[in-house]
Amino acid sequence: MSIRRMTELALLSSVALIIFVIELRIPNPFPIPGVKLGLANIVTVYAVFRYRSSETAMIVTVRLLLGAMFSGKPSALLYSAAGAIVCLCGMLLLRRILPEKQIWLCSVIGAMLHNIGQITAAVIIMQSFSVAAYLPILLVTGSLAGAFTGVCAQLLLNRIKR
Amino acid sequence: MKNRKILFAVILIFLVSVCLSVLILRHSDKQTIEIVQDGTVLYTFDLNDTEARNIRISTPDGGYNLVQIQNGKICISEADCPDQTCVNMGVLKSDYLPIVCLPHKLIVRFAEGES
Repeated sequence: MSIRRMTELALLSSVALIIFVIELRIPNPFPIPGVKLGLANIVTVYAVFRYRSSETAMIVTVRLLLGAMFSGKPSALLYSAAGAIVCLCGMLLLRRILPEKQIWLCSVIGAMLHNIGQITAAVIIMQSFSVAAYLPILLVTGSLAGAFTGVCAQLLLNRIKR
Repeated sequence: MKNRKILFAVILIFLVSVCLSVLILRHSDKQTIEIVQDGTVLYTFDLNDTEARNIRISTPDGGYNLVQIQNGKICISEADCPDQTCVNMGVLKSDYLPIVCLPHKLIVRFAEGES
């Protein structure tokens, strides 16, 4: 990997982290665990369409680990990591099918997969199936948030030409 | 064509989730409460027969949640976890939507079936 490439990845990771930390300061109107705007995923979606799979995975890993530290909620790492892995795999597959004009759709599906991953992790960790009741609510809020981040990423991709 | 199918599938999932969410958020008429920690049931009781009291539930690693019962309603009034989601969730209302504290693996919910 060239130094130029590495610097780009580091820059994207730090941008994602800054967005993540700023989002922590925004009060959450929905007191339901797991409901979040997920603005930092603008960077993830952007990276999925501009960088190689391994490079995108690196950005997300750094974001997850440092994000868990900065937010002071290391226990949330398991849930967010499970979501992020499922979401990333899905989006990397979708990248092959979807054209550049439907990036927002990719982001919506990514958000849904993220929520499914989160809930699966919660069911396994809590050893109770009752948390699965959150899934429909998370899917609704998640796909709305995903559509928003997807449109943002689409605007970014159109503006930043390579 | 393939893209259109994906789009329809996404819209379908979205609509189904909206319907399910409405169902899930309905208020419950059950009265039996269960407090579950890490997969094991700690307490079961009837809300109507229980006078106002507080139950302190500790976790093995030193954390705690304070469960408050008052006027036939139950909520988590205090917790020492960083995210406080369980406290912000307020009173338990729905059959399907338990109060959950993810960091402490604690669930407060209506019990299955009538007892």
